[in-house]
Amino acid sequence: MESIYWPTFFFWLFSLISCSFAVGVLLARNIVRMAFYLVLALAATAGLFFLAGADFVGAMQLMIYVGGTLVLLIFGVMLTSQERFIEMKTSSGEWVVALLLGGMLLGILLQAAMAVPAWQGMDRAAAEATKVEKTATPLGMGLLGVRVDQLDEQDESRRKGMSGYLFHFEIVSVHLLVVLVGAAYLARAKRKRGRDELAGTGSNAT
Amino acid sequence: MDTTASNLSTLLMLAWLLPLASFVLILFFGKYMGSHGKFAGYLATGALLCSAALSFTAMFGVWLPNHPLPSTAHHTEEHGEDVPSEEAHGHVAAYPVEAISAQPVALQTDHEHGEADGHHATAEHSDGEHHANNAPPVSYFGDWYTLGQFGSLKLTISYYIDTLTVAMFCMVSLIATCVHFYALGYMHDELHDFTDPEVTMSDGEKLKRPGRFYRFFQYLSLFCFSMFGVVISGNMAMVFVFWELVGICSYFLIGFYIERHSASTAANKAFIVNRVGDFGMLIGMMALWSSLGTFAFGDLKDAEGHVVEQGIFSQLRTEENDYHLQPTASMVEEQERVRTQTCELAADEPPKQSHAGQWLLLIAGVGIFCGCVGKSAQFPLHVWLPDAMEGPTPVSALVHSATMVAAGVYLVGRFYPAFSPEALLVIAYVGCITLFVAATIAITATDIKRVLAYSTVSQLGYMMLALGLGGWVAGMFHLITHAFFKGLLFMCSGSVIHGVHTNDMTEMGGLRKKMPITAYTMLVGCLAIIGAGIPIIGPGFSGYYSKDAIIEQAWSFGSNNPHHAVLKWAPIVGAFITAFYMFRLWYMTFAGKPRNQDRYDHAHESPRVMTMPLVILAVFALGIGWQLPFTDLSTSALLEQARPVGTLATSHGEILSELVIPNEHDSHAPAIKWAAGWAAFSTAAAGLLLATAIYLWKLLDPQELKQSFKPLHSWLWNKWWFDELYQIIFVAPCMIVARTITRFDLGVIDSILHGAAAVCKGCSKVVYAVFDQTVVDGMANGVAGVTWDLGLWLRKIQTGNLRQYIMFIVIGTVVLFVAISFVQRTI
Amino acid sequence: MIHLPLAHLLSEPVGVSHYVMVGAVLFTCGVLCMATKRNALGVLMGIELVLNGANLNFIAFGSHVLRNDANSLGLDGQLISMFVIVLAAAEAAVALAIALNYYNNHDSIDVDRADELLG
Repeated sequence: MESIYWPTFFFWLFSLISCSFAVGVLLARNIVRMAFYLVLALAATAGLFFLAGADFVGAMQLMIYVGGTLVLLIFGVMLTSQERFIEMKTSSGEWVVALLLGGMLLGILLQAAMAVPAWQGMDRAAAEATKVEKTATPLGMGLLGVRVDQLDEQDESRRKGMSGYLFHFEIVSVHLLVVLVGAAYLARAKRKRGRDELAGTGSNAT
Repeated sequence: MDTTASNLSTLLMLAWLLPLASFVLILFFGKYMGSHGKFAGYLATGALLCSAALSFTAMFGVWLPNHPLPSTAHHTEEHGEDVPSEEAHGHVAAYPVEAISAQPVALQTDHEHGEADGHHATAEHSDGEHHANNAPPVSYFGDWYTLGQFGSLKLTISYYIDTLTVAMFCMVSLIATCVHFYALGYMHDELHDFTDPEVTMSDGEKLKRPGRFYRFFQYLSLFCFSMFGVVISGNMAMVFVFWELVGICSYFLIGFYIERHSASTAANKAFIVNRVGDFGMLIGMMALWSSLGTFAFGDLKDAEGHVVEQGIFSQLRTEENDYHLQPTASMVEEQERVRTQTCELAADEPPKQSHAGQWLLLIAGVGIFCGCVGKSAQFPLHVWLPDAMEGPTPVSALVHSATMVAAGVYLVGRFYPAFSPEALLVIAYVGCITLFVAATIAITATDIKRVLAYSTVSQLGYMMLALGLGGWVAGMFHLITHAFFKGLLFMCSGSVIHGVHTNDMTEMGGLRKKMPITAYTMLVGCLAIIGAGIPIIGPGFSGYYSKDAIIEQAWSFGSNNPHHAVLKWAPIVGAFITAFYMFRLWYMTFAGKPRNQDRYDHAHESPRVMTMPLVILAVFALGIGWQLPFTDLSTSALLEQARPVGTLATSHGEILSELVIPNEHDSHAPAIKWAAGWAAFSTAAAGLLLATAIYLWKLLDPQELKQSFKPLHSWLWNKWWFDELYQIIFVAPCMIVARTITRFDLGVIDSILHGAAAVCKGCSKVVYAVFDQTVVDGMANGVAGVTWDLGLWLRKIQTGNLRQYIMFIVIGTVVLFVAISFVQRTI
Repeated sequence: MIHLPLAHLLSEPVGVSHYVMVGAVLFTCGVLCMATKRNALGVLMGIELVLNGANLNFIAFGSHVLRNDANSLGLDGQLISMFVIVLAAAEAAVALAIALNYYNNHDSIDVDRADELLG
């Protein structure tokens, strides 16, 4: 009996949590519960990120998703949560079709995941010998256009990709700004008019 | 010589082309020349005046100084006569030099000789022994422009200028100028909107139309241009072209009042009848060309004066043959070829003595004459000329005197050397019949212009008769004198019509008090046409000289040919009838009491622009036959100078061996002259007396005469039933054939076409029903339907349900994966 | 490698394919979430799950721990997943704004009633 390789153990733990809560999101009827399950699933995914050596991305996952996006979602849940919308039933026929198709899709994906031999794991010695580096600095430099991880690359053709992601970073940042301004405008302007409407038509809307 | 030639050709070409220039100008700008083209008239008249001036310059400035006429003094001595028409006789020799020196001998011996040798004589035989013939007259021939050369056929614009050409230019331009001036006055109605009293529209109104003053002068200019072209032409082809131009101009002018049915019919008639004659002319031209290979009249010479191309005349009348008519070798060969081809049985027989080439010559001559018959209104194609009275009177004057009908006589005269004796006999008989028939018809006609028209036909018959009998000078002389007095007569009648507004003589009478100038100038014309003069010694009116010359020639011919005595008497009888109807006309119009008081009261003398030409022409009608005092100049002397080659000798028929065409100079023998002169005078005087007795002294009542000779009167009144005869013989069968063909067209061809159309239509209907409606439409509709159904089905898919879309995406992904893996596996 | 003995399950290091399998499960769950939830916010959550599944794949492909050879995406994988996270946040913001608008206009959050696009 070999000793437990802890990263593997944690992988299984996190993946189990992640998958089971993802299924929970799928199966839950209550929107509030769904949000809660989603938080847990995403947090477990962040754990998987850590295990894969992507410490900075995992941290971002926790902060942006779990801390930001989901808070936003829960805001939305709370804003729209009238009694009749908390649980909305889907017809069983639809469920059958969806599960059938989902199963097929899952099967295909799993089959594809296991079809590549190179994707199987390394042996334990090699894995233990692998040195895990912090990735925050290379990522930051990469976003600024410098690829510190490829400085010693000998192959000229591979060095071409060294130009980094500064340009994309800029585009994404501008995009984010535009999106947020747009979202704020959209939500605010409509709400003002919508509230007037709601005041006029609220009684007979339901 | 060369300068003379170039001067002459240049002068005459200018005179010829000026009317063309006027025509073109009026054609394009006529409408803008003053109101209704008033200045077009001045332009055309001015052009003609210049032409006349150029023609007279050519005559008196170039021709006569270079080719003086022989002096008369010598001549009168020799013959003891002072009639100008005689005087050139012995002295043509003066310039063509040698030829005529033996003439007096010929004169004396000719008669017996002709009788004795006639039946066996060939031209060579008889003439070689006895007398010389006359050489060609002085002439200038050359090409202005070569239109084209097709093998041996050369088409050129060429000139042939001799005395006749110049004289004709002078005559035509002078008369045409007078007519132009006259027309300026006569056509003034056309200067404003014109109401045609003879055309009633369908709504009962009289036709109103804008005036066509300029168009009238446009046609007149073209007419004169065409006539000058005929006269100056140097070859048959060019003659033919201008011949047809003259025809088309007469068509335009006769049909000038196109709205009148009678005018358009008359124009058509003139044109169609002329085409009949032209058909013969084409045959004659073809016969000539196929055998002689040329259309040219004269010889084309190079710079040194050597003959390059021989013309028609010099081929037919060679110097070696003493200028006697002799068919060329090519003609004999051609005739022989035609004979063997048409009669195949006779092909291998030895060529019999078939009057070597004479038949071909006869065909050519009669063919050319056919054209002249049409143009000069000879029997049997004379029917168009009286109808041509529908044109305005100035046109009638021009057509009847100087241009159209003169063209036919001129061509006979120009072509004279190529006519064989037999062809001349045909000409003479045609002329004889024409002169008699037309004269008789003129007796009963009451339309003043018709009387004159028939008198024209009759006088043209005289000319043809004279030419046919060998009297070339007599015929051409009569052509020129007749041109003047007939122009005068017509313009006088126009003046009368202008004054009283009717053509009908039965509504006139006593007009000499109202319009004296017209009356007395017309009297001059009448006296000229009947040939009034002191018998034998002269002097007389112009007609006296020319008509006496014709009658003398007829007597000369008659005494030589007892078989053809009718040709001797016809001109005498004609003279009687002419005198009768001309004075009948004058008396009915100008003498006695007015028959229609209303018309008489409104009658008036014509304006000066119309009477001045009358006076001028009257002077010429009186004196054109005279010799110019103190000079040798006279019309007949000029014509004698122009005498065509080889016509001075007596000629004998080849096919009709007893036929003798006498020498024209024989007719001046005193015995013939006396007899003919007295006969002419007495018959004319008798006719005049009869007319006076009936219409002036009223000794006989015309109505009574009409009743007692009713069949004869109606025979003449209906113009010998010629129109009706032609209607039955030609027009009606033509109509029947046309109707049959129309029926064939409508019945057979149309039904074939309609059948084909129906079959086509049926086929297309079948195709439409079977193919179009099912296959094509089915395809189109099918595509549309499938698209529609697909759209409907897709519409069902498009539920708008968000979650369903996601399902579709998933399905798509799955299917894609399956498909890819499947494909990978198979590959 | 399904026939791996269960005994080695915890003693051997995991590979890329394990991560990809987890990603596939998350992805499928997300897709089914989108397909079955009538609540617009549920659909949004499905989208988050799908994005996360994809993200997990990128991380796996770029990880040296799971697969240390030249064909690994390396740092690029983590960079791309960063962008995905950022864009997912932006998307969530816009989608939430749309959902709120929809709710205000229709007085409902049920996507089945948003069928104006019905053909």
